[in-house]
Amino acid sequence: MVNTNVFLEIGLNHYLVLSTVLFCLGMIGVLLRKNAIVMLMSIELMLNAVNISFIAFGKYNSNIDGQIMVFFVMTIAAAEAAVGLALAVSIFKRFKEVNIRFFEHLKG
Amino acid sequence: MTADAFLFWFLALSTVAGGVMVVSLTNPIYAALSLAFTMVSVAAVFVTLEAFFVAGVQLIVYAGAVMVLFVMVLMLFDLKHEVESFARGKVTGAIKLLAAGLLAGLLIGAILYSSSGELGSSAPQAAAQIDSTKTLGYRLFTQHIFAFEALGVLLLVIAVGVVALSRSKGGTHGKH
Repeated sequence: MVNTNVFLEIGLNHYLVLSTVLFCLGMIGVLLRKNAIVMLMSIELMLNAVNISFIAFGKYNSNIDGQIMVFFVMTIAAAEAAVGLALAVSIFKRFKEVNIRFFEHLKG
Repeated sequence: MTADAFLFWFLALSTVAGGVMVVSLTNPIYAALSLAFTMVSVAAVFVTLEAFFVAGVQLIVYAGAVMVLFVMVLMLFDLKHEVESFARGKVTGAIKLLAAGLLAGLLIGAILYSSSGELGSSAPQAAAQIDSTKTLGYRLFTQHIFAFEALGVLLLVIAVGVVALSRSKGGTHGKH
């Protein structure tokens, strides 16, 4: 009885668990990968997970401010991707690779 | 099985599968394509949550602009083979995976433990949300106008900074 309800009635918890799974996938990507661009992609995954939880809370609270916060998160994410990719281009010009271990040579 | 339940499970599966492929594929172009797939799935999840305007913005900004930026940089680099795509060390890798799994278990446990509050599983009626785009614009330009203008300033600063950074000769190591 309980199991069929879990699968058939979609509630706030389902969206929150989906958000958690996606966030932890992005965290695994940031921790395990060594390509700087793939790490940036994983950060985008984490931000998307946070957006899902914002919108789910906003819907189930009948509050529109969750969607406004998602706008701000999206803007910050786009800016962060632009800066990160510019840094990656700079690293690539110097070392011909975007592996994260070259970022320890940043100075001057 | 009802239609919205099937839609949720389908979208959850595609979202998580895209995320797994982003993390696990060693070719960065494939990872970028999987990320675009995940973005489209997340936009569909927004549609099921009745946030239609945000879903459109998600498609335009993420699946359009940000993904084009990623793919263009990847093609600029011409990264076909990756030598060390994953971090070295099996023990530290296992510890990192364990930490992420522990965080996921902790969060899911907290969600399920605290789920008996007033935010039950019953969705509010759709009539209150039918005009959400108009309400969204109204709130954004009245109540959150300062944050909106601050974001404009931030984007200007970011644009100028990125152009200056990518125009500097030799990247971070100018003269040596």
